[in-house]
Amino acid sequence: MTHLVLNELSQTYSNTDKPALDRLNLDIKSGMLNALLGPSGCGKTTAMKMIAGILTPTSGDILFDGKSVLAIPAERRGAVMVFQNYLLFPYMSVGENVGFGLKMARMNKATIEKKVLEMLELVQLPGVQNRKPSQLSGGQQQRIALARALIVEPKVLLLDEPLSNLDAHLRDEMRELIRDIQRKMGITTVFVTHDQEEAVMLADKIALIFEGVLQQYDEPDVFYNQPGSLRAAKFFGGVNFLDGEYAANQMTTELGTFSAPRSSLDTGPGVLSIRPEDIEFGTTNDGDNTISARVNSHVYVGTYTKYKIDVNDFRFEVIAEANTKESFPDGSNVTIRFPADKIWILPKG
Amino acid sequence: MNRIIRWFAMTMIIIWVVAPFIPLWLWSFSLRWRFPNLLPEVWSPRAWLYLLKPSSGVLDATIDSLVIAVVVTVVSVAIAIPAGRALGLYRFRGKRFMEFLILAPTIIPGLASVFGVHGLFLRYHLANSLVGVILVHLISSVTYATMVMWGVFSNYNPEFEEQGRVLGANPIRNFRYVTWPAIFPGIVVAALFSFLLSWYQYLLTLIIGGGKVQTLAMLLFNFARSGDRPVAGALSIIFMIPALIVLFVTSRYLTGENAAVSGLGGGR
Amino acid sequence: MKASMYLWWARFYSKGKVWILLSPALILVVFLFLGGLGFGIAESLNYMPIIGLNDPNFDAYRAIFSDKGFYKSLLLTLHVAITPTLLSVACALAFGLVLRQSFRGKKVFTFLFSFNLPIPHVVGAIGILFLFSQSGFFARIGHALGWMDMPAEFPIIVNDPWAIGIIIEYVWKETPFIGVIVLAILQSIGEDYEAVAQTLGANRWQRFRYVLLPLVLPGVLIVSVAVMAFFFGDFVIPAILGQTYPAVLAVEAVKDYTHYDLRNHPIGVAQALVIAAIGTVLVFLYMWLNRKFVRSDG
Ligand SMILES: Nc1ncnc2c1ncn2[C@@H]1O[C@H](COP(=O)(O)OP(=O)(O)O)[C@@H](O)[C@H]1O
Ligand SMILES: [Mg+2]
Repeated sequence: MTHLVLNELSQTYSNTDKPALDRLNLDIKSGMLNALLGPSGCGKTTAMKMIAGILTPTSGDILFDGKSVLAIPAERRGAVMVFQNYLLFPYMSVGENVGFGLKMARMNKATIEKKVLEMLELVQLPGVQNRKPSQLSGGQQQRIALARALIVEPKVLLLDEPLSNLDAHLRDEMRELIRDIQRKMGITTVFVTHDQEEAVMLADKIALIFEGVLQQYDEPDVFYNQPGSLRAAKFFGGVNFLDGEYAANQMTTELGTFSAPRSSLDTGPGVLSIRPEDIEFGTTNDGDNTISARVNSHVYVGTYTKYKIDVNDFRFEVIAEANTKESFPDGSNVTIRFPADKIWILPKG
Repeated sequence: MNRIIRWFAMTMIIIWVVAPFIPLWLWSFSLRWRFPNLLPEVWSPRAWLYLLKPSSGVLDATIDSLVIAVVVTVVSVAIAIPAGRALGLYRFRGKRFMEFLILAPTIIPGLASVFGVHGLFLRYHLANSLVGVILVHLISSVTYATMVMWGVFSNYNPEFEEQGRVLGANPIRNFRYVTWPAIFPGIVVAALFSFLLSWYQYLLTLIIGGGKVQTLAMLLFNFARSGDRPVAGALSIIFMIPALIVLFVTSRYLTGENAAVSGLGGGR
Repeated sequence: MKASMYLWWARFYSKGKVWILLSPALILVVFLFLGGLGFGIAESLNYMPIIGLNDPNFDAYRAIFSDKGFYKSLLLTLHVAITPTLLSVACALAFGLVLRQSFRGKKVFTFLFSFNLPIPHVVGAIGILFLFSQSGFFARIGHALGWMDMPAEFPIIVNDPWAIGIIIEYVWKETPFIGVIVLAILQSIGEDYEAVAQTLGANRWQRFRYVLLPLVLPGVLIVSVAVMAFFFGDFVIPAILGQTYPAVLAVEAVKDYTHYDLRNHPIGVAQALVIAAIGTVLVFLYMWLNRKFVRSDG
């Protein structure tokens, strides 16, 4: 059980001036599972490598239970990283791979063998110890890589894009396996992903990073309901945005004034955002926050229908559950309502 | 048509491989073999027995050749691993120039630098010594070994080492258990290559060794020009033994292209 | 204390690792190779302060360039470097094209083809000597077939003015080397490009000339350059299979350098440097020509 703190952690690679990671601050409580989320190239792997100790920070500090670990070399730091492409040693058997860390710790052979079998059991792959890594499928290799990391009982477990190389249903299985094992063993875990859904499903807390800079560090639902910036909102699937001026719980836009009590700013220029599933359809143009619109097109996606709705020059996306709402043909005139408690005002830019 | 061409090519390959070695063997077992006889008139192991005699100098020359080649091989590989790693794995300012500098000895013949090296060695008392010969052999051996290791590290994923570190391997054990097995086939190629380069080296040994260092290559060259065909034939066969070992190793353990690369060592 | 030293070293290594890794090789190349070249240049200019020669001059080079024999040697050296390179490439392409087809015994013949890769040149030279000298194996076969009576009737192939013996040895040794590379390239290319060309109406020759050759040539170029550079500076084979006069430049340079009259030293060194200079120019010229050829027609 380790309390992990990153303090102004930065990395500037020698061939560039722009930092790959710029003053990252995180505080990960003991036994928590946190996600580093961000588009490819934003510095997630860089952060992981610094925590693991295979990359020395340009500045900043890393604390395990309040003590700096910067001067502890990787092999004694106790932060084990599972790389994105598994990196099973191809010239070793699966069993030797899993037991590698214990062999490095000079544990005796019999104990290693026993623990390897336990670990294979834990990742639900009993009996593969004598195979070569190349004889396993991608998903199996991922589990072996996980077992190889867990066997040394790390203080901190670092998973770099653990699900990105798997296909859809393997991904679900693996996600649950990770969650279960992490809960059971209570290891402080950081995992990296570029997929916001994955982060939301797995993490206790998400650190959203763009271009080396931490944007927001919050619980998953906050990113949906109260994103801190337009970029964060877009990254989490937001599509409906409307510029305007915010003052006294009112958002004034080209399409009219909307009452909006929820906001990330007090007053000034802002952006109105609302999720597609929160917009309500209607036919009567009364009530607050309601405007006339016209259906441009729609796609039926099984359990729901996705509409493109035009209001003057603006286009909104609306998602209507297939069974709860009547359907509107393309070109028909409708009204849409932005419920006041679903609107979230973002800072502009 | 295709078949005829193929038959012709196969016949050529057989002649190619067999022809030069037939007279070597025949001559090595002949005592008298005058024109126009197709086979020796008097067979005899004289040449072979002569080579076994200490007075022939073959034993001493073999030992010198072996010592030089083994030292050259070990040092070359030890230098080539880090150098190949730097060139294969990292990008850095001045890399093109470094590549050029390190590979220059492959294009500029050894002849160009060896006289100057001899002058230098004369001043530092390295000329006419085993150490001097080893040093001068190193120039080309290190270059070729570095080329091999460069290729190895161009297809190498250094993250395996990072993985080893975080799993608790200190740098030494990490090299032993992670890096070494991954680059081992390349090291075999580089080592064979360096060994053959040194084993076959004549001119550099002649100039730097100044006749004081007698290697097998020098002995063979002298016999080739002396006209004693039986001895030249027999010594040729002895001289080829490392090549045959290389052939065996490469055909057993290495893939075709690596074998080609290590074979290049035989040419230089 | 120890901890901060570790951090210092980790930072230092991550910044300077490339140079730390390269330094042993660099030291060797700089001191021995460049040092040797530099010392050689000074020697060739008669500039050796240590023995009181303080005024550099071009006497050695003047002596070389005013000697008719030098130009004969140079022509011979060019011939001995370029001719076998082209012949080896041609033979290697031919063997490569045959060996890439699939047929019974392909594996065996591919192995046989690469058999002489690690065989030393000297041994090849001795074999060629025994085969092609006027009383050699082929002359005896000629006699047995009734084509000739006396050794003198056999054409002069070794130690001859046209360096045929040298060229045979070089082609014998290097064809398989280039051929194995050609084969590897051909295998990586596959047959799809040719199939496409065929559907577009290219005949056999056109497929070779306009599809295969441009694909193979860049790789072949690199190895053949290395081969040619070797031929240009080689001493051993011309010394065994070449004629006495004029000999190739390398042989002449060694002759002068090892001459009992020390005044010939600088001339030998200068010749070696001229070989290196011409060889390097030749290599670049060859690469340039080939690249041009590949670009304009390929
Ligand atoms: N060893 C390196 N040297 C130089 N730049 C690097 C190195 N590794 C990563 N980078 C750069 O740093 C940035 C962040 O990379 P990385 O941490 O791998 O991103 P992510 O894992 O989020 O995709 C990228 O722009 C990448 O090009
Ligand atoms: Mg990454």
